[in-house]
Amino acid sequence: MTSSSSPSTHGASRARQYLLVFAALAVITAIEIAMTQASIAASLANAVFLAFSLAKATLVAAFFMHLRDDSRIYTAIFLLPVVLVLAFSTLMLMSAGGH
Amino acid sequence: MTSHSRTHEDEFRAGRELSLDHRKLGVWLFLASEVMFFGGLIGTFLHYKATIPSPESAELDTILVGINTFVLITSSLMVVLGLDAIQRGNRRGLVTFLGLTTLLGAVFLGGQVYEFVSLYRHGITLTSSVFGSSFFTLTGFHGLHVLIGVVWAALTLGKVLRGSYSVQDHVGVEAFGLYWHFVDIVWIVLFTIIYLI
Repeated sequence: MTSSSSPSTHGASRARQYLLVFAALAVITAIEIAMTQASIAASLANAVFLAFSLAKATLVAAFFMHLRDDSRIYTAIFLLPVVLVLAFSTLMLMSAGGH
Repeated sequence: MTSHSRTHEDEFRAGRELSLDHRKLGVWLFLASEVMFFGGLIGTFLHYKATIPSPESAELDTILVGINTFVLITSSLMVVLGLDAIQRGNRRGLVTFLGLTTLLGAVFLGGQVYEFVSLYRHGITLTSSVFGSSFFTLTGFHGLHVLIGVVWAALTLGKVLRGSYSVQDHVGVEAFGLYWHFVDIVWIVLFTIIYLI
């Protein structure tokens, strides 16, 4: 059997780092839920929600999925379809807005 | 040695030279295809949301789903703590954290079933409106992925209990973790576009 190529193999525990990332995810989620109960302008709230969503997804991919210090090839494989989907969705929404 | 086996040897050598584990590479390629799958569903949902009014969305329970989101994020933490445990030779820790992952995944599914039943009682069904169709298709496929993840977690837990995985070889745990975190990321996006925006 081959060993894992995970960067943390045989290294120090990453439990503290994982707990910090989890705390950030939990706090952001709590703020999001609190914002839905407050009266905030929709345009501002939507921009904040999208930024929070991007931040949370990036934290999970970078730290929990180890893209931060794993091979950049994995990052490229994952990000290429994300960019394509974002381009597709943007063009479709622009098209929907024009009608 | 046949030319066929030589070709395979060359492929594996190429993977090693790039410091890639072919099993992890396979999972990442699968996840890339999943991005396209969910991207199509999310794009469709956003298109309908932008073009067709959906007053039914007022029936969505953001607090309940927010708690469910917290449950899924916590399950992701359990997976990485389990991986961290086996990387340091702590098999008992891996068993505990994989067990908690399975439990939290089941709790998430229970919350989703509760939400679906509540919406059906309010007359929002798969065929009641465009919103109902796109909502249940999108969240239903995500729920199916969570269900597959729960089964995968239970199977991985079974392998651990039978003595599989060690400090030297734990790619099986890592591969499951990649899938589970991806399902988590998809939910983070769905929570935003369906319930928050």
